[in-house]
Amino acid sequence: MGEIRATKRLDITGDCCPITFVKTKLALEEMQPGEILEVLLKEGDPLVNVPRSLKSEGHRVLQVKKVRPDTYLLIVERGKLE
Amino acid sequence: MSLGYKNVNFSELKKGGFIRQQGPDLFIMRLRSIGGHLTSKDLENIALLAKKYGRGEVHLTTRQGVEIPGVRLADYQELIAAIKRLQLLPGACGPRIRCIVSCPGQDVCPNGVVNTQEMARQVDQAFFGRDVPAKFKIAIAGCPNACTKPRENDVGLQGVVYPQLVADRCSLCGLCQSLCPGGAIKIVADRVTIDRQRCCGDGACIASCPTNAWVAERRGFVLYAGGKMGRQPRLGDRLLDFVPGEEVIPVINSVLQGFITRRQGNERLADTMARLGTGIFRKLISYTSRREVAAGGRD
Ligand code: SF4
Ligand code: SF4
Ligand code: SF4
Repeated sequence: MGEIRATKRLDITGDCCPITFVKTKLALEEMQPGEILEVLLKEGDPLVNVPRSLKSEGHRVLQVKKVRPDTYLLIVERGKLE
Repeated sequence: MSLGYKNVNFSELKKGGFIRQQGPDLFIMRLRSIGGHLTSKDLENIALLAKKYGRGEVHLTTRQGVEIPGVRLADYQELIAAIKRLQLLPGACGPRIRCIVSCPGQDVCPNGVVNTQEMARQVDQAFFGRDVPAKFKIAIAGCPNACTKPRENDVGLQGVVYPQLVADRCSLCGLCQSLCPGGAIKIVADRVTIDRQRCCGDGACIASCPTNAWVAERRGFVLYAGGKMGRQPRLGDRLLDFVPGEEVIPVINSVLQGFITRRQGNERLADTMARLGTGIFRKLISYTSRREVAAGGRD
C-alpha cells in the first residue's frame, strides 16, 4: 500500500466507550467522502469496538499500526454520504 | 378468608409461581419473562396487577422475573385469571425447570454472535415448568463475555461463531491481528493465519474486518452443565464445545435424562456431576454430532 495522506488526526487514547466512537464519528462527519482520518487509540476495548462501529457506519479502516506497546494508529477512510 | 381458601385450585397452585411470604396470609405472585424480555404493555399490566392485588410494588428477581408481593390467597383465582387474560406468564418454584435467563444477544448487543432471544423462546417452550428431581436453571449468553453467567446454571449456553478467511478479499490492513483477544490471528509473510486452538469464537475479526475477508463459518453454542450457586457453589463444566442451534433442545433433553437417571436423592445436577465425574456424565449425553464434539467444535 502506498503512502496515505491524512487530512485530520484524532487522539482518543484518553477516552472510554462510547466517547471513543462518538468523537471519531464527529470528526468523520466534518470530512468529505474519501478523505483520510488518523485515529490514535488504546488496545483492548477501544481497538475492538471503534473499528466495528466504523464498519457498520460505512467507513473503512485502511491500516492499523502499532505505535507503542498499548497504542495503535488507525487509518480510516471516510465513507460515502448516505 | 375461609371463603377464599375454599376456591383454591390446588393443581394450578402446584405448578408454582405462587409463594408464601413472611406475614400472615400473604403470598408472592411470581411472573416470568422469557430471556428478560417484556414489552412496555406487559410492564403496564404488571403495574396494574401490583396495584390491584399487591401493595403497588414489584421485586425484580435475579432470574429476570417479576414478583408481586403482598397478594392474598383469597385473590389468587382472580389474579391468575387476570394474568392469563393479559398474556403475562406465571413463574415457577420448587423442583421444576425455572425461568430461562438470557442476555439481549445479537439483536441488540454489539458483541452478540447468536440470536439468544429466539433460543430463549425455544428453550422456554420446550422445558419451562417441567417437573424435575431438583430445581433446574438454564441461562443463555450471546457471546464469550457470558453476561448472564451460564456457568452458574445447571445448563448454560454461550454463543460462539467460528471464522473462516476468504483470503483474496484481505487487504492486509492488520486489524484482525491487532484485536484478536487470544492472539489466534497472525500475519506471516503477507498471509493471514489462524490458530484455531486459541480462537474463543467471539467473532471480533468478522465484525471488524473492513473488507469482509473474515466470514462466519458456523454459529452455535458452547454448552456448560453442572453449575449452581447457593451454599456449595460450583461452576459448570464445559460439556460440549459446539452445539448448533437446532440441536440445543435435544442436547438439553439428553442432559436432563442423564441427570434424572443418575441422580441420588434430591441432589442438583452439580452434585450428580461432581459425584460421577464430568467425563462419565458426558458419556451419558447421546449427542449425535460426535465428529464435531471430538474435533472440539473447531476444524
Ligand atoms: S453475553 Fe455477550 S451478547 Fe450477551 S449481553 Fe453480554 S456482551 Fe452482549
Ligand atoms: S482485518 Fe480483514 S483485511 Fe485486515 S488483515 Fe484481517 S482479514 Fe485482512
Ligand atoms: S473469533 Fe475472535 S478469537 Fe477467534 S480468530 Fe476471530 S478475533 Fe480471534
